[in-house]
Amino acid sequence: MLQVEHLQKSFSDFKAVDGADLRVGQGDLVAVIGPNGAGKTTLFNLITGHLQPDKGRILFKGEDISHLPAHQVCRKGIARSFQIANIFPRLTVFRNVQVSVLSQKNLSRTMFRPARRMVVEETRQILDRVGLNDQQLALAGSLSHGDKRILEIAIALGNEPELLILDEPTAGMSPDETAATMALVQRLAREQGLTILFCEHDMDVVFNVATSIMVMQQGRTILQATPEEVRQNITVQEAYLGGA
Amino acid sequence: MIKDILRTPSFLWTAAVLLALLLVPFFAGRFYVYILAVVFVTGLLAMSLNLLVGHGGAYQFHHCVFYGVGAYTAGLILAKTSLPAWLGLCAGPLAAALTGLVIGAFCVRLNKLYFGMLQISLGSLIWIVALRWYDLTNGDDGIHGIPMPELLSGSVNAYYFLLIIVSACLALMYLILKSPFGATLRAVRDNPQRCEAVGIDVRRHQLLAIVIGTFFAGVAGVLFVVLEGSVFPDMLFWVLSLEIFIMCLLGGWFTFFGPMLGAAIMVALRTFVGSYTDYWTLILGVVLILLIFFLPEGIMGVNFRSWQRRRERRRSADDVR
Amino acid sequence: METSHTLAALTSQLLVGLSRAMILFIVSSGLSFILGVLRVPNVAHGSLYMIGAFAAHTIATAFDGSVAAFWLAMFCAPLIVAGISLIAERLLFCHLYEREHLMLLLFTFALMLILGDLTKMTWGADYRSIVAPPFLQGSIPVLGTAFPRYNLFLLLVGPLVAVGLWLISAKTKFGKIARAAAVDREMVGAIGINVSWVFAFAFVLGCLLAGLGGALVSPTISITLGMDHSIIIEAFLIVTIGGLGNIWGAMVGSLIFGITQSVGVMVLPQFAIVFPYLAVVVILTLKPTGLLKSVW
Repeated sequence: MLQVEHLQKSFSDFKAVDGADLRVGQGDLVAVIGPNGAGKTTLFNLITGHLQPDKGRILFKGEDISHLPAHQVCRKGIARSFQIANIFPRLTVFRNVQVSVLSQKNLSRTMFRPARRMVVEETRQILDRVGLNDQQLALAGSLSHGDKRILEIAIALGNEPELLILDEPTAGMSPDETAATMALVQRLAREQGLTILFCEHDMDVVFNVATSIMVMQQGRTILQATPEEVRQNITVQEAYLGGA
Repeated sequence: MIKDILRTPSFLWTAAVLLALLLVPFFAGRFYVYILAVVFVTGLLAMSLNLLVGHGGAYQFHHCVFYGVGAYTAGLILAKTSLPAWLGLCAGPLAAALTGLVIGAFCVRLNKLYFGMLQISLGSLIWIVALRWYDLTNGDDGIHGIPMPELLSGSVNAYYFLLIIVSACLALMYLILKSPFGATLRAVRDNPQRCEAVGIDVRRHQLLAIVIGTFFAGVAGVLFVVLEGSVFPDMLFWVLSLEIFIMCLLGGWFTFFGPMLGAAIMVALRTFVGSYTDYWTLILGVVLILLIFFLPEGIMGVNFRSWQRRRERRRSADDVR
Repeated sequence: METSHTLAALTSQLLVGLSRAMILFIVSSGLSFILGVLRVPNVAHGSLYMIGAFAAHTIATAFDGSVAAFWLAMFCAPLIVAGISLIAERLLFCHLYEREHLMLLLFTFALMLILGDLTKMTWGADYRSIVAPPFLQGSIPVLGTAFPRYNLFLLLVGPLVAVGLWLISAKTKFGKIARAAAVDREMVGAIGINVSWVFAFAFVLGCLLAGLGGALVSPTISITLGMDHSIIIEAFLIVTIGGLGNIWGAMVGSLIFGITQSVGVMVLPQFAIVFPYLAVVVILTLKPTGLLKSVW
């Protein structure tokens, strides 16, 4: 479904991504792991169009999306959540998701109908699915950290994506919250046939959930394989896992 | 939607105020009618700015350019050509929106501070043209004695015309702000990056908002011409743009009627305090500093939070914001 | 004969334009510096310029217009302006650094309003002027034309200020910290530097330059109350076309302003003032972020 080939991106002199390859098949749950600064977030930014690559290609369902701007990439069926909770703090939880749904249905520029009455059902459903229904009217900025991350995912779901990219979805969460979130992610993947690409530092999460793991270091892809193969790979062990 | 609006207390208040305003000319002298009319014009201008700044988050630093363009277009057509008056009055807002589109297209590519600085620069260009092209615009003197159609001349007629137009504009603005466009605009204000990620073309949205805001500013400019029968280059001067900012701040950025209230207070202060002292500007500066330090959400903003909470509690689960 | 006449006129006009550019540079470099470090356009910059001119007038005429008084004025007026800005900064401005930039902008606007009226109160609405010391009066022949000595003086001071500013910015500890704070305020604060004082110094330095510009310009124009409004727009335009926060950009922008206006005077005297604005349109159409790189 998604194919990244030899992607490169530099900032002034710094090569953030220096030859990244990735393959994501439909229905997969692919994890990208690597030490801090390996270029994971940059890679995600490149895929979703927030940054433009210097070299290399990104193919989504056979189409070259390497140089599309972010809002067009979204329209192709890719949605993402951000590493730092990137919500609309001054809007209610309901409105946060509603904006996304409105955008998906191309209703963002409608001017003479009340927003209050539009796409209410769809928005409710999404909030239901992620379990934020009882906090609909709360201001997003006042949510707990864990709930904000879930709201992040809910906003992404508003785009009816085929590929959902999650940038460290459980960062800063307690073990309980982490388990709940990943259970949610897996359930969503099953129920809606979503393909998921995520990056994480929590190795338990990665090895429990992922169907395929891509290892990055210093902007380069070292290897992409099944969790078993990765676990047994010596280079990866030395570089990163510390003999796990 | 209409039925819902009719039920709310906000609407009843608004209707009451509107009724009171309709009756004012029967009870008050010409001076007060004139002052209220000035409030209408200034208030509309402030509301149009708030659309862009308070709801859209844009650094619209030179908004009054569009006000001036609307006024000058109408003024020039009415004073110097023999085209029908209504054409001049309609051309004003269209010219303003067109100018807004052109300048906006320049600025919207850039982020906040550049946007503001660029707008000041381009806006000042228009100001200097109005100031220096003496043959066309009478330069510093401005254009006076602009002829108005029978229907609109005289302070009472002008008052009612302004009241009707401003009310219509405010109603339109309300609809727009409550629509998906308005909701998206506020989302763009809060987090443009996230909006891009959910498929919103942020620049197009901002440009659309700019065209709408500058259109209403142009309407305000035309109304000024109807009321005063003159235009001045000062309408295009940058200091006025910042004064409108103060009105929005004073009344409350994130509320609907805030800027109108701010404009009313400013006009009242300026008229009544200004008649006692030469140093109105000093007082304005002090008021602004007090606002910045103690009341940054404006007068209506203070009540807004508690009112918002009360409203949330009152509404049933079915009726969502 | 005819050509040498016009050549002389051309040279004369260009040199006048350049001298004017030096004043513009001194003022806009201060604006640019403040913009670069605090990321706020200082709307009160023109008012401080104006106060510099008025203060210079008061000092210069206090001792019956002696030569010493003139130099005292040139030295003290900027310091007075710096003092005023320091008071405003320490008393009020510094409490706003954590707020959003719009609030800072509005504060400087409030400052402009207040300073404008305070100037009116202190000095009244009359036109004033001061006379340069005899040494700087009159003119000397330059390239076949009589060039005012004072303008020559300005042509020397301008680059001196530029170099001085560059030295401060690039070579002193303060300059380096200021530049770092401009790019990443949190980082600078995190390594233990009091960012508030950095901002204070930058603001005061910028305002001092405005005062210096006002003091230096006072022998060449009439000192009046509208000075703040007229200079601030020009300074803003110069800073925008030069590149926000870039001192050399302020120099380039000022030169463009000065020279295009001279060209305008020779080509279409009535519309001379429009020429710089036209140049601004052209530049911003081609490069909206300014000619030189902005500081961030």
